[in-house]
Amino acid sequence: MSSYAENKKVDVQTGKEQAMASKRKAKLKKILSYTAFVGPALLFFLIIQIAPFFMGVYYSFTSWNGVSAAVEWVGFDNYIKIFTDDQNFYNSFLFTTKFMFAAVIISNVTGFGLALILNTALKTRNILRTVFFIPNVIGGLLLGFIWQFIFVKGFASIGDLTGLPFFQQPWLGTEDTAFWGIVIVFAWQISGYMMVIYIAALQGVDNSLLEAAKIDGASYLKVLTRIIIPLILPAFTICFFLTISMAFKIFDLNISLTGGGPFNSTESVAINIYQEAFTNNRYGLGTAKSILFFIVVVIFTTCQVMFTKKKEVEA
Amino acid sequence: MKKFMLLCLSLLFVVGILAACGGESDASSDTKGDTGEDSASDESGSETTGDETEQITLEFFNTKVEIHDQALEMIEKFEEEHPNIKVELESVGGGADGDAALKAKFASGEAPDIFTNGGYKQLDLWKEHLADLSNEPWAEHVLPFAKEPMTDEDGKLYGRPVNLEGYGFIYNKDLFEQAGITEAPKTISELEEAVEKLEAAGITPFAAGYGEWWIIGQHLLNVPFAQQDEPAQFIQDLYDGTETFEGNEHFENFQKVLDLETQYGNDNPLTTDYNTQVTLFASGETAMLQQGNWTENMIYEINPDINMAFLPIPLSDDPDSNRIPVGVPNSYVINKNSEHLEEAKLFLNWMTTSETGKHYMTEVFAFIPALDNIEPSGLGALGKSILEYSKEDKTIPWTWFRWPEGANKEFAASIQKYVTGQIEYEQVLEEFQATWDNLK
Repeated sequence: MSSYAENKKVDVQTGKEQAMASKRKAKLKKILSYTAFVGPALLFFLIIQIAPFFMGVYYSFTSWNGVSAAVEWVGFDNYIKIFTDDQNFYNSFLFTTKFMFAAVIISNVTGFGLALILNTALKTRNILRTVFFIPNVIGGLLLGFIWQFIFVKGFASIGDLTGLPFFQQPWLGTEDTAFWGIVIVFAWQISGYMMVIYIAALQGVDNSLLEAAKIDGASYLKVLTRIIIPLILPAFTICFFLTISMAFKIFDLNISLTGGGPFNSTESVAINIYQEAFTNNRYGLGTAKSILFFIVVVIFTTCQVMFTKKKEVEA
Repeated sequence: MKKFMLLCLSLLFVVGILAACGGESDASSDTKGDTGEDSASDESGSETTGDETEQITLEFFNTKVEIHDQALEMIEKFEEEHPNIKVELESVGGGADGDAALKAKFASGEAPDIFTNGGYKQLDLWKEHLADLSNEPWAEHVLPFAKEPMTDEDGKLYGRPVNLEGYGFIYNKDLFEQAGITEAPKTISELEEAVEKLEAAGITPFAAGYGEWWIIGQHLLNVPFAQQDEPAQFIQDLYDGTETFEGNEHFENFQKVLDLETQYGNDNPLTTDYNTQVTLFASGETAMLQQGNWTENMIYEINPDINMAFLPIPLSDDPDSNRIPVGVPNSYVINKNSEHLEEAKLFLNWMTTSETGKHYMTEVFAFIPALDNIEPSGLGALGKSILEYSKEDKTIPWTWFRWPEGANKEFAASIQKYVTGQIEYEQVLEEFQATWDNLK
């Protein structure tokens, strides 16, 4: 009796063990396949992004000059200096924030507008889509130099020929023209990219909903604001996120178009950091600035994503 | 089982990537060794020396992009004479970008063997990496004032001056004649007169490149620094806080030059960059150009028949105004921790003392040598003009290598603000002071 019961117990136990073993095996397999697929990307991400980031955090507490072998620990001195005694950094932050708002609005409005137009049954729409997307393929540095020529030489010549005051301004030579110059080029470069995302979203909108609305007698504007936009809000989340972070981190376009000039009025935070670290040879201070900058960008983008995510609806 | 195989394969792939990354340095040094042996054995037949020594490679980091192609030719000649040494030339544009590239190279452990250094503050910054060159055979021939930037407190010399350069107002002699100016202006009043005559004759007097920070914040602003009785002492006093920009005679006078140049210059000086500025002058649209003798080839390319020379940048009517800033833009330095220190010194020595090296320095690069045993030849009108001023001892130093790092860009921003009318001149001097105190 007892032996039977014991046997049964053992059976149950071995069964359990077997089940557990196979479970463990499955788990191991899962982990292995995860490592195989995520591992390489994660590894490179760690080496190329995370490790330098933490090294940067360390350097931000030092007064390293970028060359010397001696690295001196200075505690929070760099951060204190930034907050108490660095008007230029403050100015460049102000400029970058202003630029971010202008650039995000303009590039998304243009991108969305283009997407709406090119989502209709135009004959040339495929060619036009390519044409609008092309600026995004050209590198920022090159774009900056091309547009610098257009603004300085091209606009001046048009101004001479036509006498239009818009073109006769000293483009890139004053604070305002330099600011709008960068916004224009940035929007021109990025709108095509946004357009592609918006088009993809627009094509996902169920036609039956639009037809139903039409039959109910809704105007185009109503359809757009009440049906299309709410349905493609996820696209807005992505586009806003991309443009905000890109506009904040602007560097190459800025440096080749205006170089931060005239009189540092268009110096973005990224340029300010670069100059602090590599021209002024204050690497420690530069990294401290970049850590602060990182925190601000993170706060901005998380707030934005949280805000727009909340508004998203399911069809 | 199939899945397992896939897994193994992908893992293998990962390991492969890692191995490839890790082994990169090994692989490249291997190939270097291979090619080295090959070329050594190839050449040992033709070369009488026929040495079996191992081939080595020197990294030469050049910041003077203008001479890149010619320098490659020179290196070829060197390699013919020294078959076991190979020199790899890399040229990165001057100024801050070259500096950043050099820092990146040092940080990544790929420090070049030979690179350049501006001296003074730059020497302090890089000194721990530099080899002492005081006992090189050419060292005694370096002109005393050209040694100064690369000499430390102990009197050790750390670099060989690349060349001498000078700048001022380059003027078009023919246009001056056309406007009826018979004598070259040497003081600020004479310059004002000349400018008015040019203007009356319908010629734009200045090509003002106020869009480039280094033209105004470094070269132009150097003049009031260098016109001080004791420039080095003045700068030291600025660091110590016993001297200020405000109230200084030369800095007060500096306003006149800015006013003159922008009032009688081309349109939109703030968007005029280096190329545009030089082109304006070379094409004969303007009569004067605030630049240095390094623009010589650019100008001749556009206008081979131009008749030009240097004028000083005068601050006052003092006869001392008639001096032009001449200095050493950069010096060749050697990485102290280089694996091939002796070969690097040999190469530098060859560039400086061998006939081929001298020929390239004077005839091909058209440099004004900073060594007293090399005769300048092959100079154009601007180089000759600089040489004349030097011979008459009418020179002032380049002081910006002593300024706080990054100050030149901030100075330029203040000057730009003044030129657009954003601030008054007193505020410019206040801003200069604030910049200095912030960055020192």
